[in-house]
Amino acid sequence: MAKVLLQAIGSSLEAFLKAEESGANAEAMEKLERELEAKRAEVKAGWGAEYVERVHKKGKLTAWERLDQLKDAGTRVFPVGTFVNYGQEFGEGKDKKKCPGAGVVTAFVTVAGRYTMVIANDNTVASGAWWPQTPEKIERAQHIALRLRIPVIYLVDCSGLYLPEQSRSFPGPTGAGFIFKMNSLLSANGVPQIAAVFGDCIAGGGYMPIISDRVYMTEQAYMVIAGAALIKGGKSQNITSLTIGGPDVHVHISNCADFRGPDDEAVLKMIRRDVSLLPTTAIEYYKYDGDTNEPARDSRELKCIFPYDYRMSYDMRQVIARLVDSSLFWELLPGKGEEMITGIAKIGGLYVGVIANNQSLIRHTEYPDQKRPGGILYREGIAKISQFSRTCNDDGIPIVWLQDISGFDIGAEAEKEGLLGYGSSLIYTNSTNSVPMITVLLRKSSGAGYYAMASSAYDPVIQLSTPITRLAVMGGRTLAIGAFRTRLDDNFELIETNEEEIRKIKRGMQEVEDRITCDMDPVKSAAIRDTDEVVLMHELRPYLRAMTEMCYQAIGYRRIKNPRIWSMHDLGTLTDI
Amino acid sequence: MFRSVLIANRGEIALRVIRACKEMGIRTVAVHSEADRNSPHLDEADKAVCIGGSRSSESYLNMEAIIQAAVQNDCQALHPGYGFLAENALFSALCAQSKVTFIGPPPHAVRLMGDKARARETMKRLGLDPIPGSEGTLQGVEHAALLAGGIGYPVLLKATAGGGGKGMRVVRGAGDLKHAYSEASLEAEKAFGNASLYLEKFITSGRHIEFQILADVFGNSVYLGERECSIQRSHQKLIEESPSPVITEEIRREYGNKVARAATAIGYVNAGTVEFLRDEDGKLYFMEVNARLQVEHPVTEMVTGFDIVREQLKIAANCPLSITQADVKLTGHAIETRINAEDPARDFRPDPGTLSAFEPPAFDSIRVDTHIKAGYTIPPFYDSLICKLIGHASTRPKAIDTVLKALRSFKIEGVKTTIPLHIAILDTPEFRKGDYDTRLVQEFLAGKTRGAAKTGK
Repeated sequence: MAKVLLQAIGSSLEAFLKAEESGANAEAMEKLERELEAKRAEVKAGWGAEYVERVHKKGKLTAWERLDQLKDAGTRVFPVGTFVNYGQEFGEGKDKKKCPGAGVVTAFVTVAGRYTMVIANDNTVASGAWWPQTPEKIERAQHIALRLRIPVIYLVDCSGLYLPEQSRSFPGPTGAGFIFKMNSLLSANGVPQIAAVFGDCIAGGGYMPIISDRVYMTEQAYMVIAGAALIKGGKSQNITSLTIGGPDVHVHISNCADFRGPDDEAVLKMIRRDVSLLPTTAIEYYKYDGDTNEPARDSRELKCIFPYDYRMSYDMRQVIARLVDSSLFWELLPGKGEEMITGIAKIGGLYVGVIANNQSLIRHTEYPDQKRPGGILYREGIAKISQFSRTCNDDGIPIVWLQDISGFDIGAEAEKEGLLGYGSSLIYTNSTNSVPMITVLLRKSSGAGYYAMASSAYDPVIQLSTPITRLAVMGGRTLAIGAFRTRLDDNFELIETNEEEIRKIKRGMQEVEDRITCDMDPVKSAAIRDTDEVVLMHELRPYLRAMTEMCYQAIGYRRIKNPRIWSMHDLGTLTDI
Repeated sequence: MFRSVLIANRGEIALRVIRACKEMGIRTVAVHSEADRNSPHLDEADKAVCIGGSRSSESYLNMEAIIQAAVQNDCQALHPGYGFLAENALFSALCAQSKVTFIGPPPHAVRLMGDKARARETMKRLGLDPIPGSEGTLQGVEHAALLAGGIGYPVLLKATAGGGGKGMRVVRGAGDLKHAYSEASLEAEKAFGNASLYLEKFITSGRHIEFQILADVFGNSVYLGERECSIQRSHQKLIEESPSPVITEEIRREYGNKVARAATAIGYVNAGTVEFLRDEDGKLYFMEVNARLQVEHPVTEMVTGFDIVREQLKIAANCPLSITQADVKLTGHAIETRINAEDPARDFRPDPGTLSAFEPPAFDSIRVDTHIKAGYTIPPFYDSLICKLIGHASTRPKAIDTVLKALRSFKIEGVKTTIPLHIAILDTPEFRKGDYDTRLVQEFLAGKTRGAAKTGK
C-alpha cells in the first residue's frame, strides 16, 4: 500500500497555550519584528530620497522600481541577502560610507509565471558600485539559481568597483572575478541568463552581462572595459563612454549586445516577453492534480508559540502544523529517536520532507524511567535523520530542516556511544545529498548540531533565520561558563567566597554573555552572509512555499520519483514491524 | 534612438524619410544609382553613397552593396521605403545578420504575408474572411476547374508570390481557363521565379479598401482608419482617399479592431496595410497584407495627424507605441493623386525627360511629396511617379475642390503627366458622389461613364 498517509496534526492555540502566555510571546516577537522591519526599510531606502531623485532625473528607474515593473502584478518578491554589510562602514574618517544591501538587490521574482533570480545593482547607492561582499552576494544568488535551475536576470547599472575598498572586493577566489565564473557555469548548465544594461557598465560590470543569452541596452547604457576618462586624448576628441560603448557600438557593430530599447520600461517589458518564451514551470504537474491549501492552523499564530525566553521549550509539532498544507503530516519513525521529528508533508501542493528538533522532554532510551531534554542530538535521533535525509534524497523529495538545536549530546556516555561517528555519518549524508534542502534556523543553532542539520556549509538552496535566531558555536551563558570554568564547581556555581571576587567574576561572565548574545543577533549574522535572509514568523510559510515551488519548477536536472515508488515507503514498512 | 539611418530607396519616398529622420535628429545616409547621381534629394541627406549602376538590379536591388554602405557608414538602421527591397524577407534577414535594424516588419512576418496563400489561411483563422477561392496553392488546371465550378465564374487566377498585376488573369468562363492558367503560371515563373497560382472569386464591381496599422514589439497595435484606393488603372493605384465614402463608423471599428488584433496575433511589428475588397453588398473580403510603408500613406497622415514614418522609426528602436486607439481621431477628408510622367495619349507609356518647369502649388491644406525640381531629368530606369499631391479639407466635396484647384495650377513642362486624367476623374459625377468601384478609370477611358470627357487626347 504505497500510499502517503497524511494525518492532521496540531491544535488550536487555546488548547495548548494560556492566553496570557501566547499574548506575552506575541508581544515580544512583534517588538523584534518591528525592529527588523525598520532595518529592512533602512536598507531598501538605499542612500535616500536625494539619490532616488538623482536616478529619476536621468530618466531611469531605481533598482526596486525595476523589480516592480519586471514582476507579475500582485506577486510577492522574496529578497535574499537583504542585510549583507548591514551596519558596516567603509572608507576613512569623515568619508565613511554605508552601503545598504551591499549596493545590490538579489531576489526571487515571479516573471511571466516563472520564478527567476533577479540581480539588480542598487543605483541609489554609489551608482550601483561593487563594495566588499557585493561579489559574494551576487555569487550566492547565482549559486542558488544554478542549484534550482531558475533563470537569472541581471539588471545592470554599475559604475564599477568602489575603488577606496577595491582590495577587499577585487582579488580573492570569491572576488568579483568569480561572478564571471558563475556566469559561465550557469551557461554551461543550461540555465537561461538575460541581462539588461540601464546605465554605467564599466569594467567588471561590463563583463557580467556578456555571457548572458540575451543582452539589452537602453539608449543611455554603455558597456566599456575602461571608461572615456582613461582614454588618452579622449577629452580633446570629445570621446564619451556612450560613444565608445553605447548601443550604437554594441548592438550594431561589436555584437556584444542584442537589442536596444528606449528606456527602462520598454526593456523590462522585452525581458518579460523573453521569459514568457521559456518552458513553463512543472509546479502544477508535480502537484499530481492535488489541491494547494493553506495550513489549517493559521501560520500567523507562529509568533504566539515561540516563548519570549529562549530557554523555555515549545511544541514543535504545533509549528509544523502552521507551516504545511492543511496541517497534514505523515510522521515516519515516530517511536525512535524522539528528540527528532521526521515526516512528509506538502507545501504549496508539493511534497517535502520535514526534519525538526523536538523541544519537549523525551524518554531516555537507556533508562526508560528517566526523561531528557529535546533540542539535542542523541544517537538514535542522529541515525534517524541521517536515514530519513538519505531516503528523501533517493526519492527526490526536497528537505525542509527546522533547526532549534543546542548541539550534540556531550559527556562520557556520548563519546562511548560514538556520537562523533554517527554525527560524521549524518554530515556525510547531507554533504552528498543532491536533493534541494531548505534550512530554517528557527531559534537556537549551536555547535555541531548546526552543521549536522544542513546549515549553510552543506549547501542548502537557502538558509533562513527568524528574528529570534541565535546562531553561535555555543550560547553566551555556556561560553561564559567555559571561560570561567576554573572558578566554578560541578554545578557551575562559584567556588569563590570573597564578596569582591564574586562580584568581579559575575561581572566578567555577564560581559562575555552579553557580547556573545549581541553577536548572535540574526541581522549581524546576515550582515556577514552567515544566513541568507531573516524573515518574520508569518513570512516563513510563503517563503517556504516559494522555495518549494522553485525546487519543482525546472525539470530534467534532478530525480523526482512518483510517490508510488518512494523508498520512503520501505522506511515506513520496516519500522512499522 | 538610432544615430544614423540609411535610406535604401530613391525619389520622393527617400526624401520623405530623410526629412522625418532630420526632425528626429537622426543622421541620414542616402544611397543612389549612377543614374540618380544628380537627384536633388541627395543634397538633403548628410551623406550620399553610390551603390552601383543605373539598373535597379545593380543598385536599389543590390542587397550586398546596400548593407555594406550601411555598415561602412555606421548606420544602425535602414529604411527600405516602398518597392525595391521593402518586402524582401531575405534582405531583412541579411540586415539582421549585419546588425542593421530593418525599419519594417520582422522577416517571419514578411515571409508569412509574402506567401499570399498562407496569408489567406492565417487571416481566415483570425476572423478575416478572404475572397472565396482555393485554400492554398492550386495543384493544376483540373484542380482550378473543379474549384472554379464550385465558386462560379468569373474567377481570378493569381500568382502566389505575385503583386502588381503580374501573373494575374480574369477567367470569364470554363472555356478560357486552360489558356489563362498556362499564361498566368508562365508569367509568374518569369516574374517571381515561382509558378504557383491560386484562384479566387472575381468580384466585378469591387472597391479596394485598406486599413493602416501600427504595431510595436510589445504586442500593442492600433489602426489608423482606412483608405480607399479603387481608382486604379491596370491594378495601379492613381487616386486614394481617406476616409472611404462607403465605410461607416461601425464597419471601421469592427474591421479596424479585427486587423489590429490580427497584427498582434501573427507577431506583426511596424507599419503595415491590410487590404480588402468590398463587394456590392458591402462585405469586406481580406486580400493581402502589405508589409511596408505604402505610397498612399500621406492621406492617413493628413486625417489622423500622425507621422507614420516617425512612428516606424520609433517602433524599430523598440519604443512602445505612444498612441492608443483612443488617440486616433479622423479629422476631415484627404485625397492623394499620384502624378506620373506618363503619356495618356500613348497608352500611359512612361515619358521620361527633362522638366523645363516644375512649380507645385503652394496652397494651405495641400501637401506635395516630391524630390523633383525644375531642370531635373527623369531617368528612364525606374517607375514614373514624380510627385504625390495630397489635399486635406473638412469635408469630401471641399477636399475634391482643393485638389482640383491645386492640380489646375500645377505647372509642369517638359514631360507629359497624368494630371489631366486626375482632373477629369475627380470631376466625374461618380467620383464626386463617392459611387464608384475599381472599374471607374477603365470605363472612363472607354468613354462609358456619365461624365466621360475627352481627356489626355
